Amino acid sequence: MSKLYGYAGKVLRINLSDEDYRIEPLSVREARGYLGGRGLNISRLYKEVRAGADPLGPSNKLMFATGPLVGTMFPTASRFNASARSPQTGILGDTNAGGHFAPEMKYAGFDQIILEGACSRPVYISARDDEVELKDAEEIMCATVFEADAHIKRALRDQWTQTVVCGPAAVKGVKYGGLFANQVRAASRTGMGTVMASKNVKAIAVRGTGAVEVAEPEAFRDLVLQLEKEIRDHEQYPGRRLMGTTRILTMANRAGFLPTRNYTSGVYEHAEEVSGERLAREYNVKTRGCFACTVPCSRVYTVRAGPHKGLHGEGPEYEALGSFTSRIGNRDLELALKANDMCNRLGLDILTTAGCIGWAMEMYEAGELTQKDTGGLELTWGNGEATLKLIQLIARREGFGDVLADGSAEAARKLGRGLDRIAQVKGLDLIMADPRGLKGFGLGYMVATRGGDHLRSEPFIELNDDPQIGQRMFGVPEATMRKADRGKGKLITYFEDWCAVIDALEPCKNIMQNMMLLPFDRAAEAMEVTTGLKLSPQEVRDAGARIINLERMFGVREGVTRRDDDLPTRFKETPLAEGASSGTVVDADLMLDEYYAERGWNQTTGWPTPETLMKLGLGFAAADLPA
Amino acid sequence: MKRILVRAEECAGCRQCEMACSFQHSGRFSPSLARVTVHKDDLNGLDYPVMCRQCSLCLPMESCPAAALSRDAEGVVVADWQLCTGCGLCVQTCRYGAVKMQGGKPLVCNMCEGRPQCVERCPTEALEHIEAPEFTETPEEAFRRMKEAWGFHE
Repeated sequence: MSKLYGYAGKVLRINLSDEDYRIEPLSVREARGYLGGRGLNISRLYKEVRAGADPLGPSNKLMFATGPLVGTMFPTASRFNASARSPQTGILGDTNAGGHFAPEMKYAGFDQIILEGACSRPVYISARDDEVELKDAEEIMCATVFEADAHIKRALRDQWTQTVVCGPAAVKGVKYGGLFANQVRAASRTGMGTVMASKNVKAIAVRGTGAVEVAEPEAFRDLVLQLEKEIRDHEQYPGRRLMGTTRILTMANRAGFLPTRNYTSGVYEHAEEVSGERLAREYNVKTRGCFACTVPCSRVYTVRAGPHKGLHGEGPEYEALGSFTSRIGNRDLELALKANDMCNRLGLDILTTAGCIGWAMEMYEAGELTQKDTGGLELTWGNGEATLKLIQLIARREGFGDVLADGSAEAARKLGRGLDRIAQVKGLDLIMADPRGLKGFGLGYMVATRGGDHLRSEPFIELNDDPQIGQRMFGVPEATMRKADRGKGKLITYFEDWCAVIDALEPCKNIMQNMMLLPFDRAAEAMEVTTGLKLSPQEVRDAGARIINLERMFGVREGVTRRDDDLPTRFKETPLAEGASSGTVVDADLMLDEYYAERGWNQTTGWPTPETLMKLGLGFAAADLPA
Repeated sequence: MKRILVRAEECAGCRQCEMACSFQHSGRFSPSLARVTVHKDDLNGLDYPVMCRQCSLCLPMESCPAAALSRDAEGVVVADWQLCTGCGLCVQTCRYGAVKMQGGKPLVCNMCEGRPQCVERCPTEALEHIEAPEFTETPEEAFRRMKEAWGFHE
């Protein structure tokens, strides 16, 4: 075949045990079949990490990959995925972030970086074009995310170096330590920072002088300009520019699915005080964006008075804002900013951290935890001082923090109580949307290949609550009605395939998917003008389905069955008492039956059938199906 | 004369200006091919694009031993790569660090012959192409100004 454009064309493989590396060509077959990013990672991970490999041992591998659109002026193409077997869940660990790391990786010449083995000394990796070195990190191993990033830039005498760093929490072995690019761009789900720390690697620093070439520059430019116009003309544009994702908090509260006091309510009476609108009005001073973004949505805030005077920084996003307000019953917005900042510096996954704290507070309020368990912490709803203290204890694995440092499910197991109050699926703490008010999201949590999370499918279209869309897209009006259970199998299959494609090409899902800008046909067009690879819209969607099925098989290999595709009992049995999502519960079995049928998976086991795998070119994985 | 002005408070640091510039001049994408470079203070969330400011006293032009830098009819500084010997003195003498070498030749902003792509593509209107007097603010000075205005003390 002729030259492959768009991609950097190389994979950097570092063996940390031997302190050696080699540079391999990117396989064109893999690029066609898996597109890039998340797809490249599962393709390699499935083949290279055996079932049962110790997530924190040298046989696990940590892979970083970015996509063909990244490093160009394609709007929002800035992201990377990091994947390994997860120490938090035991299944696929995978996480994604933007910022400026991924394009720099491309300029250094790499589509993918694979870390194997474990180093005998603390190091950070420096890749400057083809010059790859392991640098001593003794001094910064326990440093905060911000300090480590600054130290590396100083040490390399280069402010344009881009890093991905793990924080002190990951180094201490907290199971949900994240990876951070540009200090606050968190790839923090499923504990990938903890995996990196277990390999004795504090950071990866990249810098490159290479260029990305596209196959058809004129057509590429036309597509970019067209997309930019559609973004600016979009009804969501002004809100996203002003508030980013924090605009969702008010929306979620009105619709009654804003997780409040650990999902015991879907309405927070103090929502206005902690809203994105208030943050924009009273605290934000400046906008920031990821690389090549047309709608920069990150915000820099400053706190000018009060106990947190002088606090400033970027963020928070909706998930973090809601996590440290309604989820833990806290009405103090500045406290939430402080908690967000602490988690970023310590390198913690905020959703899991707040999930653990919310769970502990509910337990404490119910009398199932006492100060004897908590080491004197008074974990009443919204206790700000206790929240900040507990975040530090978790990061250091001290006292009650140590109990929470493996996630809420593990904490409940250790204590022997409270399993009925945890909000997680497959060991991953849930996000800030109550599935009783968004049934499709609920199915998405149940089947997500990385555990309870919305970003594997994100069927935002449910928020419109419009039966006509469901009729048009899926032939089932209920598919896009948020409180209906029917039709969700089709909805989630479609949106999962779509998210997998977006995560493989690596633009921003918030923009390209949520704003309906890069459906399969346009993704095919983007692939062709960028890379020169001609794929039909169906072939692009098949690549998404291939990624999902192989990720599922990664889970199946670790023992996942239909039994694990489940929601906490609360969401299936107890309706919300008030608000616009009250009076209904999730019919998990109905949705799962539909979903497996749509996927071509076995209804009893929830495993892909050999035929489904063969059809997607995954015949090699069929041998791993349990007998 | 017309200059490209920077409104640092508006810059989101997305670097679309670098991409637009690189693509305009080389048909490829790389910051190392761009005549504009975004300086960053990540700790404080601040950004500042640096490109040629069309100083009335252009030290690179004054000091170029090969006289490879000159002004066009509009007064815009342009580089003649035929004359250039690649000595790199321009990189050292530019007070704002607006010149970088690529493949032995200096990259100097020519304002895209009247329609600067960085200005057209900037998503936050942080760049303006207007009649303006010379300006001398450095990224560091701009960062200090914003930090003071917004009460950042770190």
